[in-house]
Amino acid sequence: MRKMKTILSKYNLLLVLLVSLVITSCSNNEDGDTSAGLEDGKSTVIRDLAGDTNGSMGEGVDGKTKKGFDTFLFRFSDKKQIWIRNAADSTQYLKTKDWDIAFTGPYNSEVYVNKGSYQYNPGYGGSATSAVVKIDNPYAEVTEAPSDQEFSASEINKIGWAFSDAANGWFFYSLDTHLMIPIKNRTYVIHLPDGKYAKLELINAYQGNPPTVTNLNWPAPYFTFRYFVQNDGSKNLKTK
Amino acid sequence: MKITPKKHIYLLQLLLLFPIITQAQIEMRGSLSGKILDKNGSPVIGANLVLQPDMHQASTDKKGDFLFRDIIAGEYTIAVSNIGFKTYQNTILIEAAKNNTIKITLEEEENALQQVIVYGKETKVDNLLDIQRSAMPVTVITKETIAQMGSRRLDEILKEQTGIAVVNEIGGGARAVGVQMQGFGSDYVMILIDGQPMVGRNSGNFDLSRISVSNIERIEIIKGASSCLFGSEALGGAINIVTRHGAFQPQALASFRYGSLNIADATLEGETPFHHQRGSANISANYYRTDGFNTDPNFLSGGTTAPPYDDYTLQGRVRYRLTENGTLGASGRYALRKSFMKQIFGSNENQNSAGDSQDITDINLSVTYDHNFNNGLRSMSRYYLTRYVSDMSVLWEESGSQASAEKFAQTLHRFEQQFSYSATANLKFTGGLGGNVEQMDNRDFNVPGGLWSSFGYLQGDWKITDKFEAVGGVRYDHNSNYGGKFNPSLGLQYHVIPKLTLKLALGSGFKTPDYRQRYQVFMNPVANYLVIGTEVLRGTLEEMKNNGQISEVRDYLVNQLDKNLQAEKSLSFNGGFTYTPNKNIKLDVNAFYHTISNQINSIRVATGTNIRDIYTYQNLPKSFNTGIEMSASVKPLSGLDLSAGYQYLVAKDRGVMDSISKGTGAYASIRDNATGLFRKSKLSDYFGIENRSRHMANLRLAYNYSPWDLTANVRVNYRGKYGFVDNNNNRFLDQYDIFVDGHFLVNAGIEKKLMKQRLSIQLTADNIMDYTDRLMPGQPGRVVLLGLKYRFYKE
Repeated sequence: MRKMKTILSKYNLLLVLLVSLVITSCSNNEDGDTSAGLEDGKSTVIRDLAGDTNGSMGEGVDGKTKKGFDTFLFRFSDKKQIWIRNAADSTQYLKTKDWDIAFTGPYNSEVYVNKGSYQYNPGYGGSATSAVVKIDNPYAEVTEAPSDQEFSASEINKIGWAFSDAANGWFFYSLDTHLMIPIKNRTYVIHLPDGKYAKLELINAYQGNPPTVTNLNWPAPYFTFRYFVQNDGSKNLKTK
Repeated sequence: MKITPKKHIYLLQLLLLFPIITQAQIEMRGSLSGKILDKNGSPVIGANLVLQPDMHQASTDKKGDFLFRDIIAGEYTIAVSNIGFKTYQNTILIEAAKNNTIKITLEEEENALQQVIVYGKETKVDNLLDIQRSAMPVTVITKETIAQMGSRRLDEILKEQTGIAVVNEIGGGARAVGVQMQGFGSDYVMILIDGQPMVGRNSGNFDLSRISVSNIERIEIIKGASSCLFGSEALGGAINIVTRHGAFQPQALASFRYGSLNIADATLEGETPFHHQRGSANISANYYRTDGFNTDPNFLSGGTTAPPYDDYTLQGRVRYRLTENGTLGASGRYALRKSFMKQIFGSNENQNSAGDSQDITDINLSVTYDHNFNNGLRSMSRYYLTRYVSDMSVLWEESGSQASAEKFAQTLHRFEQQFSYSATANLKFTGGLGGNVEQMDNRDFNVPGGLWSSFGYLQGDWKITDKFEAVGGVRYDHNSNYGGKFNPSLGLQYHVIPKLTLKLALGSGFKTPDYRQRYQVFMNPVANYLVIGTEVLRGTLEEMKNNGQISEVRDYLVNQLDKNLQAEKSLSFNGGFTYTPNKNIKLDVNAFYHTISNQINSIRVATGTNIRDIYTYQNLPKSFNTGIEMSASVKPLSGLDLSAGYQYLVAKDRGVMDSISKGTGAYASIRDNATGLFRKSKLSDYFGIENRSRHMANLRLAYNYSPWDLTANVRVNYRGKYGFVDNNNNRFLDQYDIFVDGHFLVNAGIEKKLMKQRLSIQLTADNIMDYTDRLMPGQPGRVVLLGLKYRFYKE
């Protein structure tokens, strides 16, 4: 009888354990809202700006309208996205100072600043003389634009796939999964066509700005990026 | 409606389409009855009895009594087994027209916890190779364990075993899920059903959720290189599913489970002997469905990350003794999966919905003929056919564009002739010869005529002395493209004292490159890359060059790789001991070291004018998995079982280690993503291969209170952190990369049997803590299911 009782009490213990387990619940969030920390009150945050989602890399992709991707331009001052769909668009916008950055190439992933002197720049032949410097530091800690000498010495043109640690691109590319992996805490400081200084962080090309892409078919290109333009013309880029 | 027992047995026979033969040669038959007792003279209840060679089965009732009726007169081997007792074997004579009686006293087993042997060793009904006597360590999961866990699909059972993980491979798409064992990826683990290989993989991953666990008799898991038994593919191990067979009385089972995620699991099973126990038949039908689960609600506004699916499985097995020495067997399995998974990204005008569908058809058929010669030689002739067809596509609903589509079919025919011979009571040989032809086709490639291969093997099982046992063998595989491969294995056991056994095992494995790696020219238009099989590498590149499609070729690589892809190879070492200080405690410790060489991986060989990257395959230098595995079980009280397992694993690629040491290319540096700073990488920065956890552990507590026919269990599984993806572009995992956090998953179940154990009610809860992580897209949250099971049988 005593033995029976011990067994029963053990069983009760098990039940209590079970019930308590059922009530508790947990879930891991590496992952919650990664965009939460982007707002600093001063910078402009652009979320999920659609690139050319109808383009495709190769031919013969059912349902995609064409091969290749249309370039688009972006102006910081009024967050304007300008599409270059045809020759008329090219003539109207490319050689002007009306844009600050251009998204070109595969998945619009190759970014240029507006620099008329460089042969492969979308604004080649125009009058804009923008320049960009890469700083491997968190965005918030980049508080001052470098000297003008540094800008003129900078050889950064295309900002795209960073093949190696010396490359200036904004993302790594996994040869195993064929996914882009944005480089964390890399900031670009730009001397804009209008002479102002700005800093830019390119954050993601995948829709919703996921911290890690967990699906091969995750929709792209949808750009998340933030920037700050110092409107008083100084080199002060403090956003904290 | 009231169903009398008679009526439903009749229904059952009708259902199973059995020949109902009522009168036959009664005069040549006799019966055998008796009692099974333990050493104290108490009856042994529920002991299993098997009469060979006919496989008549019976079990003892509450008084320890058993009865075999209508047995053809003659000499038989009787085997009696029960958990906690040594298996009893003897020869008996059944005389015609007589009730023969026998009384058997069972000896207690010292290693009483080893509940592996249920029917003794005579269960090799259609495979003479005794997988449980393999040189490499073997784990057996019995149907009792499976029933207690309340699991529905094979992946759920396996991921609770020590050293086994079920892993999503992101690079293979949302449906690439496979098993990982002692650090070996799914590509290197062969899956077999009743000793015959199953086919159908997705980027090398075999999705174990395709297999329903209803109708499984037991699962045998071999860890380590087992090509000596199974040939190519069993480079890292094998999992053999043994389906139910044999029947000693007509019975049937109906079960239904329902709960979270609208999971429904319905099974109908029946088995019966026929023609006076000369034949037996088993049939099982299962339907399973789930809604799938979304582990990523923050980024997926709708749909699921674990696919919803409907699975239908029909399985059957028939055996019939044609003559005194010959038995014919046949088995078949037909499985169908229909799955449609929606994944909704974004919202409003930016919404993108992927419609990901997959249909799978899976057929396995086998016929065996088993013959015993008078001189002790036994022969088994086996023919096996399997066919797998998968039709997958991913469609973007808003734009109507296709993200991917693949239709794939694989067929394998195999003929095998096996022999076994017991030279003496302590020395047994098993050998075989066979041939395969395999066909694979999809829209991109197809080799006419198929791939032919042949094989031969010889295994020996030798009890040298009472203390020393050896098992070993060799297998030779010949492939029409790859020539011959020779794989030996050796396992030694030394019983230092009855309580302590030392074990040592060595084995080798190989895997020939598949069609895809050899002949396929695969274009991914979405990501814009092309992969060329090595056999057609130079030809394809030259053709493209002539068409002006190539901008740069790395010629030295082409020279080196063209038509030169080697088979992958492995070597496994296992060593450890089993210690059973008393009948309630058992401890197993095993250290393992596996090396894999010539691993196949893709490499970029050219750049195109339109196509950005052109790849082919190369052999990589060595990688290794090493670690230690421990398991312990204790029975502190009667009815209470406590078991625990732990695996420590280091899995690294020697090529990566060399590149880090030498500072080659991207491997030379490491970027701290928090500070943006680069520094030189050190060998100690290397964490190991993706998806491998250093630590894995499990704890299981099961309680059986037999007066109430009540069982309950709680299982805790721990998986230590593991690497997900390289996040700083140096192509190896270091501390700054993305890791999946270590986590505990808790499962429990409780079952009550009623109506003389005919009816059972079971409540199970998987992942009770509701732990999810978006980096584990295949692991659903809490799942609670209620199940009812009813057994139909004659008293």
